[in-house]
Amino acid sequence: MKSETGFDPDLFNRFPTQGDRPEGEEEGLKRVWCAPKGWEYLTVVNNNYVGIYYLGTAFLFFLLAGVLGLLMRVQLAAPLMNVLPQATYNQVFTMHGTVMMFLFAVPMVEAAGVLLLPQMLAARDLPFPRLSAYAFWAYAVGGLAFFGSLFIGLAPDGGWFMYPPLTSKAYSPGINTDFWLLGIGFIEISAIAGAVEIIVGVLRTRAPGMSLDKMPIFAWAMLVFAVMIVIAFPSVILATLLLEIERAFNWPFFDATRGGDPVLWQHLFWFFGHPEVYIIFLPAAGMMSMIIPTVARAELVGYRLIVLAMIATGFISFGVWAHHMFATGLPPMTAGFFSAASMAVSLPAGIQVFSWIATFAVGKPRFNTPGLFAMGSVVIFVTGGLTGVMVALVPFDWQAHDTYFIVAHLHYVLIGGMVFPLFAAMYYWIPMVSRRPLSERWGRWVFGLMFGGMNIAFMPMHLSGLMGMPRRIYTYLPGSGWDTLNLISTLGAFMLAAGVLLFLIDMARNFRLAPEEGEAGNVFGAGTLEWLPTGLYSTRSIPVVKSREPLWDDPNISEDVERGRYFLPRTATGRRETIVTSPLLAEPQYVQIMPGPSVWPFAAALFTAGFFLALTVQAYLFALVSGVLGILAVLCWLADTDLPVPENDVDIGAGIRVPTYVTGPQSHGWWAMMILIVVMGMIFAMALFSLAFLWGNQPSFWTAPPPMLEALPIALGYLAVIAAAWGTRELHRIGKSWAILPALAGAIVAPALLWLDIGAWSAVTAPDAGGQGAAVFALFSLQGMVAAIAVLMALYLGWRQLRRVVTARRNNTLDLTCLFIAYTGAQGLVGTLFARSIGA
Amino acid sequence: MKTWAILLGGLLVWTTHFFGLYAIAEIAPSRWITVLLTVPCLGVDAFLLLRGRRLEVRDTFAGWRRSIALGGVALSLVAVCWQALPPWFAGTE
Ligand code: HEM
Ligand SMILES: [Cu+2]
Repeated sequence: MKSETGFDPDLFNRFPTQGDRPEGEEEGLKRVWCAPKGWEYLTVVNNNYVGIYYLGTAFLFFLLAGVLGLLMRVQLAAPLMNVLPQATYNQVFTMHGTVMMFLFAVPMVEAAGVLLLPQMLAARDLPFPRLSAYAFWAYAVGGLAFFGSLFIGLAPDGGWFMYPPLTSKAYSPGINTDFWLLGIGFIEISAIAGAVEIIVGVLRTRAPGMSLDKMPIFAWAMLVFAVMIVIAFPSVILATLLLEIERAFNWPFFDATRGGDPVLWQHLFWFFGHPEVYIIFLPAAGMMSMIIPTVARAELVGYRLIVLAMIATGFISFGVWAHHMFATGLPPMTAGFFSAASMAVSLPAGIQVFSWIATFAVGKPRFNTPGLFAMGSVVIFVTGGLTGVMVALVPFDWQAHDTYFIVAHLHYVLIGGMVFPLFAAMYYWIPMVSRRPLSERWGRWVFGLMFGGMNIAFMPMHLSGLMGMPRRIYTYLPGSGWDTLNLISTLGAFMLAAGVLLFLIDMARNFRLAPEEGEAGNVFGAGTLEWLPTGLYSTRSIPVVKSREPLWDDPNISEDVERGRYFLPRTATGRRETIVTSPLLAEPQYVQIMPGPSVWPFAAALFTAGFFLALTVQAYLFALVSGVLGILAVLCWLADTDLPVPENDVDIGAGIRVPTYVTGPQSHGWWAMMILIVVMGMIFAMALFSLAFLWGNQPSFWTAPPPMLEALPIALGYLAVIAAAWGTRELHRIGKSWAILPALAGAIVAPALLWLDIGAWSAVTAPDAGGQGAAVFALFSLQGMVAAIAVLMALYLGWRQLRRVVTARRNNTLDLTCLFIAYTGAQGLVGTLFARSIGA
Repeated sequence: MKTWAILLGGLLVWTTHFFGLYAIAEIAPSRWITVLLTVPCLGVDAFLLLRGRRLEVRDTFAGWRRSIALGGVALSLVAVCWQALPPWFAGTE
């Protein structure tokens, strides 16, 4: 491939430019990217700050959930202990698991992405800084409120996967379960917002010349991670929504006596839940693949294989969810190939492990703290992987299911696959943000305590599990032979905790945040771009990338970058900006103007959290007010984006000129909207699956749907909505001032069509009549939600039109609104036809 | 688009096969329908393998793309065969 966009790659040879840059350029950058003061810390959107907030909060949740783990270990240290009463124990293990998985592991790696990716790709920031800020605040506020439920004794207690019927209204009447359903549903939305940011960031804001084959492994990992979030999380969002609706309005999705099916929950949950494991593991593996070459002082062995392994993991991990359901009595054929795929998915993980071992073997490894944690991680993770292959064997799993063997397995995988890499990463990257690195001498102690403690705590659990100790029990009788093993486990857990405590003390001693400059710097001698000297604006100029380890291959690069001899050595338009490049070969395409600090993402997060919290405690008026304020805050945040700037194109260095604005499929906004549509589409697809699943498993509850032929006008109506959206784009292109009218009409017609459909179905069944009615009306609820968003977007577009900021060249808002309205039509069409065809 | 299709081709075949198997097992479990699904998938993989081997390697990017593509197809071949075995042995006629 010579060129992707028509850009002449020979132009890259103009860099580094010679001589000194004019005075005042660096000051200009500093002024535009200035540091916050006082209250402004709540309004920052720059990834340097948001990333740190995010990491700190996620680590706080690790500590909180860790304390809960210790409490459980104290309770289980000996038989018949009385530290946590039974009901409290149920809340504690549920919160421990939930917080670790949803509030620590996923946000932690997402935070690492927000902090590290722009540095590694030499972008000034991620493409939607306000979205990152929103994702962070939503998560922080929502997460703390969720955790708070523990202190008022209202924490959820159904286990981290919340199976109905235990979690149905009949068996869990309190609002504990609602805290989980609404809290987690909400936090997943924030994870998806972060994923959008990461996908577009990795594919569109890489330094010029950084083609896909030169991309750092961590960026690959984050790309696969984010795509997996977009595919997997909608499933759990839908599941929480359905269960909450069942509890609040008595629509029996999961009630087997009324045509629902509790196994449906398991499918929806694990279609998310298993990929979740890899969602956690992949970024950590990506960090390992960055750290190990530096520690071993050798190039990573098998870069191509690792990239392949990551992509393959992304795919195959979606084909294994039912291995969590072997004990539900799956058809033998299904159990068979899910078992096969579960074994196959360990291949790609194996490839990565062998690459790391090989890199250690060919290099001259240093046994510094990141190196120790990396090696420890491999040992622990491989142990967990082996027990994983064991439980992928169906007959073995029938024995080990719901015992402490599983608790041992999952902690080996999670601690080896995520916690140890994370500690390696913290030791490795802290010099990038702190004035001082952490102490190496203490680091060895931290490692020793954590590694020893981990094994002492969890190794015996394999045995107690095989000896029959069930998980999720608050105590046990003496004489069952589990006493000694449990005592050892408890001692190990405290040893592990001592390691973490030592780490915290060392952080307090040595960690001094240096966002502007004065970081300790490249103390380990790494070769990737995040180790270039940076300020709040990231690098002074954005280098041309010619290899995978530019700092190793070009000894002058830091100096040249610092003196502004590469791309964008100044602010070209006097605003925050970064270069948007093409997805495959990273050829410069345009300069993106980025929004600056704003209080609105913070406000929007506060109100959305308020909305969900109010729903949980059934304060519906408060929820309504909060929801409306949330929407207003989002509109305010959007109002000063996508605005015209005077320059149509600018010089980004060495006489290369690019536009400051593009529209259509090239633009980063279009990409984000497409991803959002995929998310919506996945939620809807899982709802369609639910309907079909209930029909397949509960056919005796089915009533004949309304005739297909009656849906014809509705279907035609939806086609007209799609056509209207498309028409608006075309009319705008040829310069008609009234172009937005068809789209507005389409947005208004869509809810009317839905109304017709609901009318037809109401004659046949009702949402609380049985599984079928519930599932069909769930489709309608989703359609209603999408249609309402489309109306809002159309009104917003109309308002912008009145303000005259939709011009011939600057029409992204118009494009995106049309895309979404077209999607609304398409989803409505599919839903109408599908609902009537199931069981017809 | 073309590059993504080259990079992900093999794995997309795997995806089709896997969810096809799932549908067969849920709707009409039968080992012969399984064969009917598996053989074309293997055929597509074989075709991709041959096409992939002929891909250009003019520069580092093209070479990289070719090896990812071939690796993905090889993995897909193995995984498709592997996951078709249990349905064959456990499937009903
Ligand atoms: C300080 C280290 C840790 C200790 C002492 C610990 C302890 C425990 C114990 C004793 C249980 C079993 C509770 C029961 O079945 O009765 C458990 C469950 C669990 N742990 Fe940990 N854990 C630790 C770290 C982690 C980490 C780092 C993660 C994830 C990143 C994690 C995720 C989970 C999950 C998902 C469960 C299952 C909860 C459930 O059954 O619903 N744990 N932990
Ligand atoms: Cu799994």
